[in-house]
Amino acid sequence: MDTLQHLLTGLAAAASLQNLSFALIGCILGTLIGVLPGLGPAAGTAILIPLTFTLDPIGALIMLSAIYYGAMYGGTITSVLINVPGEAASVVTCFDGYQMAKQGRGGTALGIAAIGSFVGGIAATLALIVVAPPLARVALSFGPPEFFALMLVGLALITGLSGQSLLPALVMAVLGLLVALVGIDPVRGAPRFTFGVPSLYDGVGFIPVVMGLFGVAEILLTIEKPYRQVIKTNLSSLLPSRPEWRRALGAIGRGTGIGFFLGLIPGVGSIIPTFVAYVFEKRISKTPEQFGQGAIEGVAAPETANNAYANAAMIPLLTLGIPSSPTIAVLMGAFIINGLTPGPFLFKERPDLVWAVIASFMIGNVLLLVLNLPFVGLWARLLHLPYQYVCVGTLLFCVIGAYSLQQSVFDVGVMIACGIIGYGLRKVDLPIAPLVLGLILGPFIEKSLRTSLEMSGGDFSIFFTRPLCLGLLVIAAAVLAASMLRLPPPQLRESNP
Amino acid sequence: MYRIFTAAALAVAAATGNAGAQDFPNKPVQLMVAFPAGGSTDIGARIVASIAEKALGQPIVVVNKGGAGGQVGWTEMVRQRPDGHYIGYINLPATNTVILDPDRKAIFTEKDFTPIINHVLDPGVIWVKADSQYKTVQDLIDAAKKAPNTLRAATTGILSDDHLAILMTEEAAPGAVFRLVHLEGGAAQFKELMAGNIDVAFDNVGSIVPRVRSGEVRALAVMDDARSKFLPDVPTMKELGYPTVMSNSTRGIAGPKGMPAAVVGKLREVLKKAMDDPEHVSKLESQGLAIKVMIGDEYEKYFADTHAKAKKYTDWAKNRPQK
Repeated sequence: MDTLQHLLTGLAAAASLQNLSFALIGCILGTLIGVLPGLGPAAGTAILIPLTFTLDPIGALIMLSAIYYGAMYGGTITSVLINVPGEAASVVTCFDGYQMAKQGRGGTALGIAAIGSFVGGIAATLALIVVAPPLARVALSFGPPEFFALMLVGLALITGLSGQSLLPALVMAVLGLLVALVGIDPVRGAPRFTFGVPSLYDGVGFIPVVMGLFGVAEILLTIEKPYRQVIKTNLSSLLPSRPEWRRALGAIGRGTGIGFFLGLIPGVGSIIPTFVAYVFEKRISKTPEQFGQGAIEGVAAPETANNAYANAAMIPLLTLGIPSSPTIAVLMGAFIINGLTPGPFLFKERPDLVWAVIASFMIGNVLLLVLNLPFVGLWARLLHLPYQYVCVGTLLFCVIGAYSLQQSVFDVGVMIACGIIGYGLRKVDLPIAPLVLGLILGPFIEKSLRTSLEMSGGDFSIFFTRPLCLGLLVIAAAVLAASMLRLPPPQLRESNP
Repeated sequence: MYRIFTAAALAVAAATGNAGAQDFPNKPVQLMVAFPAGGSTDIGARIVASIAEKALGQPIVVVNKGGAGGQVGWTEMVRQRPDGHYIGYINLPATNTVILDPDRKAIFTEKDFTPIINHVLDPGVIWVKADSQYKTVQDLIDAAKKAPNTLRAATTGILSDDHLAILMTEEAAPGAVFRLVHLEGGAAQFKELMAGNIDVAFDNVGSIVPRVRSGEVRALAVMDDARSKFLPDVPTMKELGYPTVMSNSTRGIAGPKGMPAAVVGKLREVLKKAMDDPEHVSKLESQGLAIKVMIGDEYEKYFADTHAKAKKYTDWAKNRPQK
């Protein structure tokens, strides 16, 4: 009852003309990011954070969330029309989507992807509404030791599931934690590793770092790729035929379930749910030989799973303050910049804000359906933009954005340096996700560790005498141990985080 | 780099205009807040700025330069030209302890500021969970004497006024030792107290008034010489027999050192008028912030006294076995 009331208040706030237009702008920008190859959701969200600075927190978060799921949605269009995923989670959509387009059924492929994403997104948001408040209440009883252990679980999952072997992932996570140490000691107040540079007193800014690691690095990588031909396909008939519907509906249902449950586990990333949904459909299909030849289930299932995942992944963020993927970590950074630390306390402290953002997910999914069904031709035309102009334009936008964070040229330098570093890391195939997660979780891990020790008077047994804390630490250790034994198959690797 | 630009811009401004007091202000005045937007210093600053700018004849732009417990903003302020176009909030005793703590390596001292006018005085308060076994300050002190260094007491950060307040309480009640837990602010204190991870919190009246009214927490004492009008039922430490436990956080406006007297006078006049404005008074009171205007010698003396007091407790804090 309480939840329903909060939700309605949230809906009212999210449906105000102003917030509605922020959601719409966010969806349009997000889809744009998805459509432009080379810019993934993490990069796009990072680049666009400065745009939201002048907005009030609710408007800013609504717009950023809309950019996030808009980008998750928009990647489909390029997968279907040029066989290049606009973002990593749309890789699977290429298999059957591009085949459908070659057969002149491109419109149907995009149509079912939009419908599936809509169903998956709405269902996951409804589940979030039910699951999140009780989870946040439980998490509210967590003290600093439990949070410390929980962060370790999150970091272990992300490191263990990053797709590469454990050692490089672990090294990157530790590197992220080390960079997070730069700045004023959060407890003692003394500057650390600042080398007398006042700009470093507040640490290495998270936003310029992710703008560089994702945004600039992705642009540099895209410049190397050859230009791809846009396929001519029929975009006039978007709705599937009756027999196609029958095949797609089940796939949408199963995709929703798979996406939602995998979204609850931090570290899974956005690609795995789409693969699992695709493989599952193929296995239970009576005509598995049609997969890869333009089977509609092969588009419906992963696209649904993708969007269900995107919305479900907000649950660990909002209730526990644990980002599940680099994109969510960027979103978390944006929350923090707006003065709100995601976590259980947010539900108690700013219910107005949390519920307005959750309600905006519903609105956003409707907006995306509208943007994607009738206007899909318009988005497709964007693919004809010469990429050299897009690259230069995006780089310019990055520089202006980084400067506008706090009118500091230093931040622009950090962004460019991180862009070059990110490019290099991709070239040598080192995972960026654990680095980013280490960087954003570092201050929280440090703070909860040190507060725990203040509580216990310096006695480490506090971590082993509280049952919940001990349980979480065991899980973290088990996750790391398990990932040493098992390597995911190479096609699951996130080449594009 | 940015500072070079700013310096260059200011140099151009100084060369082209006559930067004397007669034509002050000849451009918008920046009012720096050394804490993020939305905090209580920021809320107060925005209310004052919106009223004072009408009388000043130039916009007053609130600039948030948060970070490092205020150190980033104050470092920025002391580097500005003292022509009155860049002024900012100093938060006593936080500004003092940043100067006094050798680990902070602050580039400024108390002599680098020109105090203009004090704005808000927010007294310290000791509070517990509504159903806590500690009903009075005496219960707390007895417990802290009986089992020293076990009662977990939360500050809002190391060397914050709340940290100093705990030391004052220990000084006034010899034998009582609290176990210090430095949390990040009022919200973190509230969460940990409600979850039972902390036994008692030291904070300021402005932060907890709504929660006392809602019955979630119980305020045990206010650390001021008179009761707070926002918490009229809560006794002061003075009433409870601990007159030396006097702690508060003040927010006032200052500029870099070396400001012309005429500019200071003009700012003081305009700001005082804004602070006396009924609109300002009602807006601040709705936030639970107590206005305390201090100017001239009174404010300068207050700054010096706070500095001396902060020095004593900062030295103690640095030498206490458990920091």
